Amino acid sequence: MSMTREWLLSDAPLSRRQAKLGQAYRTWLGFRTNGLAMFGLLIVVVLVLLALFAPWLAPHDPLTGDLNTTRLLPPLTEGYWLGTDDQGRDILSRLIYGSRITLAVVALVAILATPLGLLIGTTAGYFGGWVDTVLMRFTDIVLAFPKLILALAFVAALGPGIENAIIAIAITAWPPYARLARAETLTIRNSDFIAATKLQGASSARIIWKHIVPLCMSSIIVRVTLDMAGIILTAAGLGFLGLGAQPPQPEWGAMIAGGRNFLIDYWWVATMPGIAIFVVSLGFNLLGDGLRDVLDPKGQK
Amino acid sequence: MFHSRFLASVAVSSLLLGAAPTLTYAETPPDTLIQAWSIDDIITLDPAEIFEFTASEIAGNTYETLIGYNPKDVSDIYGRAADSWTVSEDGKTIHFKMKEGRKFASGNPITAADAVFSLVRAVKLDKSPAFIIGQLGFTPDNVEQNIKQTGEYTFDFTMDKPYATTLALYCLTATVASVVDEKLVMEHAKDGDYGYDWLKTHYAGSGPFTIKDWRPNEAVILERDENYSGEAPTMKRVIYRHIPETSTQRLLLEKGDIDIARNLTADDIAALKGDDNIELESGIKGTLYYLGLNQKNEYLSKPKVREAMKYLLDYDTIANTIMSGKVKVHQAFLPEGFLGAYNENPYSLNIDKAKELLKEAGVPDGFKVTMDTRNTPEITAMAQAMQQSMAKAGIDLELIPGDGKQTLTKYRARKHDIYIGRWGPDFQDPHTNASTFAFNPDNSDDATSKPLAWRNAWDIPELTKATDAAMLERDAKKRADMYVDEQKKVLDNGPFVIYAQEIEVLGARKDVKGIVIGPSFNDNNFAHVTK
Repeated sequence: MSMTREWLLSDAPLSRRQAKLGQAYRTWLGFRTNGLAMFGLLIVVVLVLLALFAPWLAPHDPLTGDLNTTRLLPPLTEGYWLGTDDQGRDILSRLIYGSRITLAVVALVAILATPLGLLIGTTAGYFGGWVDTVLMRFTDIVLAFPKLILALAFVAALGPGIENAIIAIAITAWPPYARLARAETLTIRNSDFIAATKLQGASSARIIWKHIVPLCMSSIIVRVTLDMAGIILTAAGLGFLGLGAQPPQPEWGAMIAGGRNFLIDYWWVATMPGIAIFVVSLGFNLLGDGLRDVLDPKGQK
Repeated sequence: MFHSRFLASVAVSSLLLGAAPTLTYAETPPDTLIQAWSIDDIITLDPAEIFEFTASEIAGNTYETLIGYNPKDVSDIYGRAADSWTVSEDGKTIHFKMKEGRKFASGNPITAADAVFSLVRAVKLDKSPAFIIGQLGFTPDNVEQNIKQTGEYTFDFTMDKPYATTLALYCLTATVASVVDEKLVMEHAKDGDYGYDWLKTHYAGSGPFTIKDWRPNEAVILERDENYSGEAPTMKRVIYRHIPETSTQRLLLEKGDIDIARNLTADDIAALKGDDNIELESGIKGTLYYLGLNQKNEYLSKPKVREAMKYLLDYDTIANTIMSGKVKVHQAFLPEGFLGAYNENPYSLNIDKAKELLKEAGVPDGFKVTMDTRNTPEITAMAQAMQQSMAKAGIDLELIPGDGKQTLTKYRARKHDIYIGRWGPDFQDPHTNASTFAFNPDNSDDATSKPLAWRNAWDIPELTKATDAAMLERDAKKRADMYVDEQKKVLDNGPFVIYAQEIEVLGARKDVKGIVIGPSFNDNNFAHVTK
């Protein structure tokens, strides 16, 4: 064990791999000292585990309930620890299955929006000139729209549904990444190592992909992680307005919308998914904050 | 910074506002009845155009129709503005005699001229409810010849065919047949519009109350009609406040800020049952809840599939849980209380039977189908319950939510698979529902008449003929049998899964007495309310 540790922390790494792993390990050591960030990571890990093992963890079927016997049972009822909703469905099971939807939304938005933002931002920053002007003005236009409103408009045009909600959120999420990537690119495009690569005859695509993108990644990762909470809230907002996941899917925002009608007498129907959204958003925010502390090169002493 | 200070001040002031009612205990004035209701559906106050739930209730309390019926027993018809009537030998003409010596709220006397004017005006303006009179053979071109004054208090009403007399009389109980004050309305007429522009927001009637003011999406204020010829109402004023949120209505009612809450959910009703200060009043309405199965869909057009669908709704559970107290199970197209209504409910949830029927239809594994669902809490909840029970037979019901306008537009263009809807009869005669559930003279896409059977592309030449024949049958007993027969056929074979009939429930403060809840909204009466 200690051997590995020494190998990782070695001042004179013998291979690139050792250097990379050593760097990652040091980052982890820095991250580990941040209690709040660790708490955020824990929440996210639990969310992932819940989503992975939903069928084994959920005590009941999330989609069917019995209107006659299990309708609107309060929390702490035996077998239904978080209560049941107006269709007689177990809220705990719905929350567990709902974590899959939430996770799918954030993951897919990250996969769709990040590369797009990176590509546009680095291209604009690297080439400069009219390419930069065109791409950045386009980014400005998209950025000028309020996020939720634009997502609403897209969903209204594409039709309600979780897939369309994901597309709509991704379309509205990329501009900040493009701006960030462009700013990073501008600071490094005139560096000596870029000039050296150019002299060796590397193509622009290779330079962007192999040399610029990796250097932008850390700040983008931080930004994406911090945006996760916003993405979850937007998805929940769309679900709440009936434009995201459709019934009977256990999407958390839609669950709140369903429970809103019973708020006076049956507070738990809306409260439980609300708490879930709150906790997961908080988890991603804490994680993002912690990552920024360790990944941001300018933040390091 | 600016923001947070603003937010803080809002928070503080809302706290103060929230605290106010506990300091000064609210109580409504003793001579004023205050109701909370979602009144955003009002688009006009002109009886010739009113076709909405809220507005028709207001018209029912402020105008008098020629004919009325007992809301507790619809078959008991009596003259309201009319005194008596006789039918001619050939059955086409009804001679009406008006009650004498009565006045409009304006002080003008009510004569046959006003009655004739009102009917002619309604047909000539030709707004949505005009067909109720028009279906008896009146068109804007011939109405002046066929509805004619014959004396100061008498007039003749001549139809194109000898329709069942009860049908004609029930048509004259609708709000569109309200008697309006000719003199007053014509004073405000311009460009031959029969005072339409003015009456849209004003009042010219003779009911127990007058319409004092209508502020859209805010309030409607009714005031006692001092010239009313009947028993004077005890309340000086009736105020409808527009409060769309049901939970707000409930809180206001519990606090005593309003006397009556009109939009309570099943769960509000259950919660208010234990409140000693509140009395729940209910009355059965003619409104039906149903599913429309579009016959353009390859699966739904199979008769066995249609039958299977009728076994896949958990009728009792829906009526006892989600809609508890607000509906009763009803499956025929004539609501309980109508002439000829068939009150048997042959279908109930039976998954095995449904599976068997699906197998016979050649779709043993079920199929995928969409349902356009209005995104109100109750409709959505019922749709989800159906989704669950249908899934048990392998039918994958996908809900497409939308607001009332979206879903209805799609339905009217018959582009849906299944539509979950509500149907309220236009007047109290069985023809009103027969002419929509069992009547489809032209099933082509560009048909002029578009009843519910058309909307679901159900081609039924024989039932259409039966409906036409029943309209002309003058023997009430025979006519009722004809409708029972039609209802059985629609139950067996029709593309409609009718599953419930509405019960209107309102929550009132304990001291409020004498509310009458009738089968349609214009029968809801507040003239004899005391508190």
